Amino acid sequence: MAEPTRQIPTVLGLDPRRASWKAWLLLGPLLVWLALFVLLPTILLIVTSFSNRDELGRVVYSFNWDNYRRCFDPTWLSIFWDSIVYALLATFICVLVGYPAAYTIGRASPANRRILLTLVMVPFWTSFLIRTYAWISVLSQEGLVNSLLLSSHILPTPLSMMYTPFAIVLGLVYNYLPFMILPIYTSVEKLDNSLVEAAYDLGAGPLRAFSRVIIPLTRPGITAGALLVFVPAIAMYAITTLMGGGSNPTIGEVIQNQFTRARNQPFGAALGVLLMLLFLVCFFVLGRKKHSAHPV
Amino acid sequence: MKTIRPLVLTLLALALAACGKSGPATPPTAATPASAEPKKLSLFCWSEYVPQTIIDDFTKETGIKVSVENYSSNEEMLSKLLAGGGKYDLIQPSEYTIEALIKDGQLLPLNSAALTNLGNIAPEFRAMSFDLGNKYSVPYMAGFVGICVNTTKIKTPVQNFADVFVPANKGRIVVLDDAREIVSWALGSIKLGINDVTTENLALITPLLKKWLPLVKVYDSDSPKTSLKNGDVDIGVIWSGEAALLYAQDKKFAFVLPKDGAHLFVDNLAIPKTASHPQNAHLFINYLLRADVSKRISDAFPYYNPNLAARQLLSPEQLANSASYPPPQQISRMQTFRDLGQLSATVDELVTQIKAKGN
Repeated sequence: MAEPTRQIPTVLGLDPRRASWKAWLLLGPLLVWLALFVLLPTILLIVTSFSNRDELGRVVYSFNWDNYRRCFDPTWLSIFWDSIVYALLATFICVLVGYPAAYTIGRASPANRRILLTLVMVPFWTSFLIRTYAWISVLSQEGLVNSLLLSSHILPTPLSMMYTPFAIVLGLVYNYLPFMILPIYTSVEKLDNSLVEAAYDLGAGPLRAFSRVIIPLTRPGITAGALLVFVPAIAMYAITTLMGGGSNPTIGEVIQNQFTRARNQPFGAALGVLLMLLFLVCFFVLGRKKHSAHPV
Repeated sequence: MKTIRPLVLTLLALALAACGKSGPATPPTAATPASAEPKKLSLFCWSEYVPQTIIDDFTKETGIKVSVENYSSNEEMLSKLLAGGGKYDLIQPSEYTIEALIKDGQLLPLNSAALTNLGNIAPEFRAMSFDLGNKYSVPYMAGFVGICVNTTKIKTPVQNFADVFVPANKGRIVVLDDAREIVSWALGSIKLGINDVTTENLALITPLLKKWLPLVKVYDSDSPKTSLKNGDVDIGVIWSGEAALLYAQDKKFAFVLPKDGAHLFVDNLAIPKTASHPQNAHLFINYLLRADVSKRISDAFPYYNPNLAARQLLSPEQLANSASYPPPQQISRMQTFRDLGQLSATVDELVTQIKAKGN
């Protein structure tokens, strides 16, 4: 009791207080992985973003701020803004749809819970590209939805759904919903029922109990889910190209274009670096919120 | 446990050494002169252009395993090729990209002795200005960019690109997602040649593009026929082969070769100088040049086949499809794209910016 630190059992002969060479060895694979596939590409991206390119689009290393200056052209800023709006909308809808689903799964009996969780995961068994292509045949003018609406005389003319912002957001929500449900589910599962009961005992109605007790307690799950949806949704280009038809370009599409069609990797890299900075800001903002929600 | 691990490791090392030795030691046979190379080929080709069944049959015939990667624009291919470090053995660039690649010394000269079927190619395609006498490239398929009209939906006559981009068609248009193409249509509309790309001329067509592009609903180079077929758009400026496929499925899809600005594109097979299996690449080119094989490519992707021997095997119905085989006098009038050099980046920037502001 007096000296609790001594009682920590040593694993593999490791001193729990000081990182020995064995600890570094265990960490090694992860560090090598991070250095090779995160640090090195990021450095390459940053170096490229300050460079020029030649006629065939090869990178010519140099140092100038031109690419960044170009990023602040209103054209690209408005595309950035559109992408943020699409991603925010998708995240918001994912919370609205995902929270009730996650809550139900988390409160279900263990046997049902397993079935429901599997159902959430089942779509991952098929490639997301194939699932996105499937949406095309559902949403197009001569697709499933329109044929149903027309043949049942609900609508006189087909709805234009494909290749619109609606289709983009739908594609994002559809593909990222599981990433919202799973983290919220883990928070709901850990939710202590006695706290909810205590809220009722102290006179809170269902709404108040939900907003003052359940939501704050599951906020870590919501935050994690929001990050997992928002961050990839901004940069996504495959879904937005297929479902948006390229006439509502997103920043992911623009960056992909710079690396391929436009023969302008440095500019694409500069946009990529800005996108990364945006993600960093997101992490800090959401991280801080989480902190203030739990005054310990 | 302690003794097993070194044992396994030693065995592994031995096995690896054995593999390394046995590879080049296999005796060369007369049927496959390329046996000095591992039986592999890495093909980098356009999407929806080389039928998988043909690749499979080539593997069956020669034992050469073909890995395929697709691209949807010449520029995409260029950037991956130049960054790829010898990953690709065979590429499929269009005429102006061949010109740029030759200029930059990126292509391997072809060994004409290995291409015994080259004689099947029509004489006019053996004398293309971008590669006179097929020193570096062999035509795969040719085609046109034209207008595909869903005649049940669009009743007004369509003759030129300008007839496509009218306010009545807003939100009903699909076009190729290709800046060079889009610019060439605008140039044609003001009676300039498709290769008259200069800063001044780009400034001239900018107002036109600003009027045109906001009307477009879908940009798609991979499979522009999809949105037409699904009824999401009613008119499009697309590849002739895609229009021919639509026409073969449903006669309501008419193909119009515009009077101004229509051009011929020629997609070619070429071997990058960094290729690691150039002999296998020659074998594959020669295989694709065979009349029966080339005929099957035409069956799947009905473009304009430069292979005369293959054309003789086509059905009268295939030859009558005007999107595949328009009247010869129309073809002889057409130009091909020249490489734009530095200006290609300007062209892309112009189109991307107008595209983005259109919405």
